Amino acid sequence: MTPQAHSLLWDYLWLAPHILALALVGVLLRREFRRHYPIFCTYLLFAGVEGLCLFALDVSPKVDPVAWWQALWVGTVIEGILKFAVIGELLHRQLRSWPSIAKLGRNLVSGAGVLLVFLAAVAAAFSAHDNAPWYIGSIHVLFQTIYFAAAGLILSLFVLAAWLHIPWERQGYGIAFGAGLVWCEHLAMWALVAGGILRNSPWIDIANMATYHVSVLIWSYYLLTSERKSLPKDDSRHRHDDSYDPPNSGPSSGEPDDHEETLNDWNRELERLIHQ
Amino acid sequence: MNPSTLAVILVVFAITALLYVGYSTVSKKLQTSKDNSRSFQIEPLDVEAFRNLVDPAEREYLRRRLPAPEFREVQRQRLRAMADYVHVAARNAAILVSIAQAALSSSDPRTVETARHLIDNAMLVRRNAFYALFRINVALAWPNSGLAAAPILHGYERLNGSAMLLGRLQNPAVPVRISAM
Repeated sequence: MTPQAHSLLWDYLWLAPHILALALVGVLLRREFRRHYPIFCTYLLFAGVEGLCLFALDVSPKVDPVAWWQALWVGTVIEGILKFAVIGELLHRQLRSWPSIAKLGRNLVSGAGVLLVFLAAVAAAFSAHDNAPWYIGSIHVLFQTIYFAAAGLILSLFVLAAWLHIPWERQGYGIAFGAGLVWCEHLAMWALVAGGILRNSPWIDIANMATYHVSVLIWSYYLLTSERKSLPKDDSRHRHDDSYDPPNSGPSSGEPDDHEETLNDWNRELERLIHQ
Repeated sequence: MNPSTLAVILVVFAITALLYVGYSTVSKKLQTSKDNSRSFQIEPLDVEAFRNLVDPAEREYLRRRLPAPEFREVQRQRLRAMADYVHVAARNAAILVSIAQAALSSSDPRTVETARHLIDNAMLVRRNAFYALFRINVALAWPNSGLAAAPILHGYERLNGSAMLLGRLQNPAVPVRISAM
């Protein structure tokens, strides 16, 4: 069964994630979150308003189809800029607490960004010819270009974090996970369209809208629920209790003073090595 | 290039990226559940032996005493041993990040601050280990060249201090030791 444009499922998938996203922004704006991730809040707000406006323009009989495509173009360009700003915000939040690797991380992701933009431009140059008007064919290529760079950059954040074992903040991780999911799926779909393999199929829109819906749910879960704090340890474990039998007692694993002495020995040896 | 081929390449890239993002989420969940037992996976590192390996004076001594072909062979063996040490240091640093990450959610501000410091030092060690391994691999191809592995040692020394402090704050009876006695 092929889904029809403006069927109940279609309308739900178009409207529901945007309404949910706007509700999420409404909740987040009341919280501390907006100060931590202002660009993501702006992105979510813009994407929500844009989605609802495009729906209204689509169903309105007074609106010329060309005007709808023009609105989509403007929205896509602004949203594309916001997507890259969100990635920058995630990178900043991810590295700001770790000065030892901040410069390296920024350089690696910036380098990946330059490479991705170059590859995206090459991919755009080799996309299939489309018989549709230029503003329809070109926007497919624009989608492919934006999502290729955005998905690649999000992937670079995950690879960087895994390689250096950078801890994720729960909220930042949720944003990156949701964005990674939807941008990778969109890239696959728009690559098929721009490559001429899949065109004029309602399944493309259904898949894209459904994935965005899932992403908004992921963002809602990660941004509205908080991480469990570990309970304070039992005082009896904090006390240096002689009756406690350590499970991993090495040759000198008992006394803190002993460790301090060892540490000082190491410090002397290593300082000598470094300055020789 | 054929547009269809390009589209397939991009789809494969997108699916791979998606799988990686999903995999990292699953592994993150699994890692959190076994963080408590990770300190036992730390392999204490003999910094004294490592110091001897990277000592330029030692290298110069060998160069003077040994014939050139023999020196190159010995130096390669030393470099391989050095690489093993660096691998252990990097792996220990990764384990310490996991342990300290769990401590970040502690209600004790001092523990959280120490955990942050430990993570920063551990990541510095991982970064330096990457550079050191690169230089070691270059030196393996050209054993006569000099090699400075001091940054990794310096980072490891700071890591040792932070790990012991965090271990002491969390549980004074069970210290975290990353250097052999």
